[in-house]
Parts: sequence; C-alpha cells; structure tokens
Amino acid sequence: MSTLSNKSDQEISALLDEYGIKHGPIVDSTRSLYEKKIQQAMGNKGKAKPSSDKTYYREEEEEVTYLSYRSPSMSEGYGDREQYSHSGQEYAQRNLQDENPYLRSRSEVYRSPDVVDKHYDTPLTYSTASYSNATPVKCSVPVPEEKSHRLIPLWVQFLVFLIVAVFLYFVICNMESTHSEPFKQVK
Amino acid sequence: MSSTSQKHKDFVAEPMGEKKVTALAGIGDALGKRLEDKGFDKAYVVLGQFLVLKKDEELFRDWLKDTCSANSKQQGDCYGCLREWCDSFL
Repeated sequence: MSTLSNKSDQEISALLDEYGIKHGPIVDSTRSLYEKKIQQAMGNKGKAKPSSDKTYYREEEEEVTYLSYRSPSMSEGYGDREQYSHSGQEYAQRNLQDENPYLRSRSEVYRSPDVVDKHYDTPLTYSTASYSNATPVKCSVPVPEEKSHRLIPLWVQFLVFLIVAVFLYFVICNMESTHSEPFKQVK
Repeated sequence: MSSTSQKHKDFVAEPMGEKKVTALAGIGDALGKRLEDKGFDKAYVVLGQFLVLKKDEELFRDWLKDTCSANSKQQGDCYGCLREWCDSFL
C-alpha cells in the first residue's frame, strides 16, 4: 500500500469515508490531520478491534499488570479475588492461543461467563497461584456453567442481606430494652 | 459547562477583525507562538481552519493538539470561543 502522502485528495477522502471519519475538504492545512486519522484507524483495525464492551479492555489491562506482578495474595478480600480469578481464566486462555485467535477466544469464551463467573471462581483462585497448565482444565469447569447474568455477584447479595439482618437484630434488641434489658446485668 | 473566561467573553463580544491569535480563549503566549510559526498568525486564520474542519469539535481539537500541542482544556476553550463567535457573527 502506497504511503498516504502519495494519494490524491479524492483517495484520502474516500479512505476517510471508508473508516467512517467525519471530515471536511482536504486542503493543505487539513491534509496531515486526516492522514494521521487514517493511520490511527488502520492501526486500530489491524489490532482486531475489541468488542464494544469497554470493560474487556480494562480487564485485559488489569490482567497484564497482574501477570507482571505475579503476586497472588488471595486473601486480600473479595475484590481482588474477583480480579484474580478473572486473570487466571483469561491468562489460561491466552496461554492457549495468541494474537488473532486471541481475539476470538476472548469474544467466544469470556463474554457471558465473564460477569457470572466471578463468584464461581473459587477453584480458579487456587489455580491462579500456581499458574500451571492445569488452569485450562479447571477453567473449562466454570465456563459452561453460565447461569443468570447478575449485575451484583451473588455472594455480595448474601453478604448485604446478612449485614442488614444483623443490623435489624440489634435494633430490635435495643427496642426491647424496656422489659428485658439484654445489655444490663442482672443483679 | 464551566463558566467562560473573560478572554472568551471579550472575543465573542465583537467581530474579530485583525485580532492576534493570542486573543482566542485557551491560546496563550506559548501556544500563540507555535501557531504563528505554523502560519496561523491571526485569529481569523484559525477561524478559517475551524470552518474548513466544518466546525467539528473532535477534528478541531485534534488539529489544535497536533499543531500547537494544546491540552484538553485549551482545546475546549478555543473551540468554545470560536463556536460561539460563529454563532453570533457568521
């Protein structure tokens, strides 16, 4: 493909339309800007554009950092556990395939189990520690288990419910203090 | 939207005539120098570029960034200033 600067104005205009870039007339002052835009668009297309869900991208970035840190401190609370289980799953998948299939595996495997599997991934958290080849095997277990899609993971709901229940219990205890006085010592 | 600066208000209040490029909101001395070096020595030349880019915000912002390395705020201020000027006078 010849360099962009060799193309005529019409060709640049056609390329911009092809990439869906809104543009004005191609004049001296605008040409370099449009050439840059086309180059960016070509670069993005070549990179196998990620699916519209931007969370994938962010998770991919997080995954990369986790791989480089390689410090699975699993007892760091739920939030981290989610991410680790995620990275474990994705890392294993990445292990299997690279580059272009990389995108395919991402789009095929991750998407629906993505949100769901966070709370299922207890087996995965163990496997992330070892990063062994066993991970692909373990990964396959939660993947088919696509249940309903929840915005808030199940365990979070249970936890919230428990907290509310305990809180209500204390409230009721305090309200009963007129005749039972559970917090006062009996003589 | 954040409130507009005095520079913005001054610029959009009247036809720009032969005002220098530093009269534009968001364009200070440093950016103004860079624009002048590229040939955009008067505000109306930048206006011309703005119009050639069909008054599109994204294109204009990108162009500003490429031409004089304006940051996001400066880009926004300049774009807003020119757009409002056009709304009144064009």
